[in-house]
Amino acid sequence: METVFGIAVDGVAYGMILFIISVGLSVTLGLMRVVNLAHGAFAMVGGYIASSVMQGAGLPYELALVAAVLLTVLLALPLERLLYRRIYGSANELAQVLLTIGLCFVIVAGMNYLFGPTLKRIPLPDYLSGVVMLGPKAISAHRIFVIGAGLTALVGLWWLLERTDFGIRLRAAVDNPGMAAALGIRTERLYAATFALGTGLAAFGGVLGSELLPLEPYYALRYIVLFLAVVAVGGAGSIFGSAAAAVALGVIDTAGKYLIPNFGEFFFYTALILILFRWPHGFFKRGTA
Amino acid sequence: MTAVATNKDTGKPAGKGAPGRLGRAVRDHAGVPVMAALGLLGFWLFPEDLGLMTRILATALYVLSLDLVLGYCGIATLGQAAMFGTGAYAAGIAAVHLVSDPLVLLAVGGVAGGLIALVTGALILHAHGLTLLMLTIAVVQIVQEVANKARDWTGGSDGLSGIDPSPVLGLFRFDLYGRTSYLFALAVLLVMFLVARRIVRSPFGLACRGVKEDPLRVQALGGSPRRYLVGMYAIAGVFAGVAGALTAVSTGIVGLDSVSFTWSAEALVMLVLGGTGRLYGAVIGTVAFMAIHHILAASDPFHWMLFIGLFLMGVVLFLPGGIASLGERLSGLLSRSPSRTAEGDRP
Amino acid sequence: MKSVLRGALLGAVVGLALGAGPALADTVKVGVIAPFSGPFATVGKTFKEAIEVYQAQNGKTVGGHTVQFVYKDLDQANPAQSKALAQELVVKEKVGYLAGFFFTPDALAVAPLIDEANIPAVIFNAATSAITEKSPLYVRTSFTLWQATVPLAEHVYKTGVRKVVTAVSDYGPGIDGETAFKTTFEKAGGQVVDSIRMPLKSADFAPFMQRIKDSGAEAVYAFLPAGPTTLGFAKAFNDNGLREKGIKFVGPGDITQEPDLLALGDAALGITTTFHYSAAHDSAMNKAFIAKHKELFGSSDTVTFTSAGAYDGTHLIYKMVEATDGKRDGAKAVEAVKNLAWESPRGPLKLDPASRHVTQNMYLRVVEKVDGQLVNKEIETFPNQPDYGFKGK
Repeated sequence: METVFGIAVDGVAYGMILFIISVGLSVTLGLMRVVNLAHGAFAMVGGYIASSVMQGAGLPYELALVAAVLLTVLLALPLERLLYRRIYGSANELAQVLLTIGLCFVIVAGMNYLFGPTLKRIPLPDYLSGVVMLGPKAISAHRIFVIGAGLTALVGLWWLLERTDFGIRLRAAVDNPGMAAALGIRTERLYAATFALGTGLAAFGGVLGSELLPLEPYYALRYIVLFLAVVAVGGAGSIFGSAAAAVALGVIDTAGKYLIPNFGEFFFYTALILILFRWPHGFFKRGTA
Repeated sequence: MTAVATNKDTGKPAGKGAPGRLGRAVRDHAGVPVMAALGLLGFWLFPEDLGLMTRILATALYVLSLDLVLGYCGIATLGQAAMFGTGAYAAGIAAVHLVSDPLVLLAVGGVAGGLIALVTGALILHAHGLTLLMLTIAVVQIVQEVANKARDWTGGSDGLSGIDPSPVLGLFRFDLYGRTSYLFALAVLLVMFLVARRIVRSPFGLACRGVKEDPLRVQALGGSPRRYLVGMYAIAGVFAGVAGALTAVSTGIVGLDSVSFTWSAEALVMLVLGGTGRLYGAVIGTVAFMAIHHILAASDPFHWMLFIGLFLMGVVLFLPGGIASLGERLSGLLSRSPSRTAEGDRP
Repeated sequence: MKSVLRGALLGAVVGLALGAGPALADTVKVGVIAPFSGPFATVGKTFKEAIEVYQAQNGKTVGGHTVQFVYKDLDQANPAQSKALAQELVVKEKVGYLAGFFFTPDALAVAPLIDEANIPAVIFNAATSAITEKSPLYVRTSFTLWQATVPLAEHVYKTGVRKVVTAVSDYGPGIDGETAFKTTFEKAGGQVVDSIRMPLKSADFAPFMQRIKDSGAEAVYAFLPAGPTTLGFAKAFNDNGLREKGIKFVGPGDITQEPDLLALGDAALGITTTFHYSAAHDSAMNKAFIAKHKELFGSSDTVTFTSAGAYDGTHLIYKMVEATDGKRDGAKAVEAVKNLAWESPRGPLKLDPASRHVTQNMYLRVVEKVDGQLVNKEIETFPNQPDYGFKGK
């Protein structure tokens, strides 16, 4: 029983971290149909910004998190204008892959040049660095904070996309860009805003997840598979799907590593294949896609 | 270097003359001899770079296999290395324990690659889009983990070494300079290229294209789209397996990197760079990517990634159909009114 | 143009066919194959910096021959590419020595090539014992997992610990470490209660921690490749309350390599390792090495075991160039250094003639804070440790 509880706690905690890092990709991929392989790069940029404003400017953790999100969005918007805007649309998938991989390479090389190849850290404030006991199970305070942040992001995104004017227009623009434009929706601005949302979430996840996925220049390419897995299982564009997928994959990974550590990798990918057989469009298929 | 510049020219003879049917005829008959001539020219001009050039040729065959599934069937995959690596390991294991004839080893690799593609293809090809992409990734990860666990056979992370193929046809020994390797690889690539062209132009190949463009219609006409896809996937597996075996034979070692996600992704980058749906695109993309990578990495081993990233982005922005479309664009510019010449080209 | 190339090619063929070529001009080239970009770029950086420090201290010439280093980037373990690069270095750059090699498969890949070309390969890192058995022209200045682990296992037993869990990454060196620890520890009378092999791509280590906790072990022997994985493992160790429970954390020194210490932060405090080099090693020679490094590159934060491997490898290359008077004769060069003993920043070194691997001191170290900086503090020395994993005749 204690084992099951332990696996559940660790699995959910890991899943929420995966969710926070991947949900931005689900937004860009599902709502904008952009295969943004540079998602990890934006997450990494966010992490590096947080790390340097904390150590360089002495900002506290919370402010560094905000600064990281804002600055990453600010840096990414010109890229949307100059690069991404040219390749929107599902007919361009392969061009998107090539362009975003190229962008990834440039960012990796840039970070390597600016910060060197060594690991960078984002120091945690005292109240997040301790260990908390959940019954018999020890878990770090930081993970609890991440779970909270993940739930907040989940609710916030749901509200933004389902309940606000912005969300309604965005969904309209995605489903039928021509019609939306005819109705006077300014799709260009809408896309830029959505892109900003996606990169902002990436940066948010990059900072919060850095305890688990440490910052180094290769981060941008190292975790792509993990992000893609969450989005594929969740169903691209579905916020709840991403959350469900992230938690499911987190629990599966944890259970596999705990029960049969020597075959953890088999366990995870076999489970992934089985899930995709059962839910070929992910847990939550967007009805409109 | 010249290999890149001159290879681009392969498209040109088709373009400079009259485009369309004549151009295609010229390309048909001149293409392979031109490739062979360029290959031999490379052999003559860069006798000191044969190691790298051999790798380029074997990789071109691997990328060609990806073109068969992606360019001709529309199957987006990030798991092509599963076939490449299986072929490489099968050939390597056969070389260590059973046979040493390089041609037999290639056959072993091809069969192994084809079999794994057939089995996994039958399992996963019902899916589409991102789901299919993820399934192919899962397959390559599992195959890699199998190779890692089967240390007694594969050497695990240390790599499978001790592959010592006997002379080609009993005559030509694999030498330090890599001359035999290079010419052997060139011959294999050319033969396989011809075979691939045969396949994509056969009724079967055309049907595959039909599935790519309009699966419902194929179904309505009584064909099974999935059967075509699995068939082509398996054939591409044979090509990838031969490419893996060729790499194993020419380098004498197989590592876990040959069954990695990264290696799959690299193939995709090279193919898109060259242009999908054209067999020449696969070859041109591979030569361009690897040669440029090599030159950049040699001139700046520390920051080459920046420049190759910029190069990839530049190709997307300025040559959306890939490098292979350059020739057609030029011909389009010359013959038609300048506006919207590229639109007609397939991406 | 072509005929010139052709002529050059023929000349090279004839030159090589005749065996030992003449000393080419007065420059001896050394080809260094290592990761200079990608996830392991730190390694290449430390190699290059250590080589430059050595050259700054000892001059760029030896016995009248200029030693020139040519760098080739091999960003990940990729033996086929390693061989192609080595081939290019030998055929095109006409190098007299190959060096570098971070990963075992990359080093193994060049064995047939160095044999045929009669060129020594000086391994700065790749730590699997079996490599040097594959060619008589391999020389290694790093360490092996066996070398570091055997004294550690004996030490752990001596401290009264009887039950240990091993947790290693599931790849060659990890399995080497696991085997070495298990063999030694059980021979001493201890018990390895669980052996966990963790997938290399693991990001979350919490489940392994739970398993370690449940096993009731008093200590965990861990080995993971340096970098992000080690960081994740050490953090998980603290976050899951293993440290509070008093479980000891031991392993070979890779896991607390200096470039990672800064990022590990206080999570690293108290980790006990055995290794051949610590940047905090207390000797005049090491101090000079660190000072020169600081002078040349502004900071010595990244100086670590790979720096030591490259520094001593460069020393060996100099000695070999000297012994062969700059001529291309690998067998003779290796023969000349087979019994060489010298003083290095890490302490006394001696090349073992059978394994061509360095016999060296292993130091027991604990991560401590000295002047606000985390260092691997050496607290005990196990002198003259050979490579226990070498099985060659």
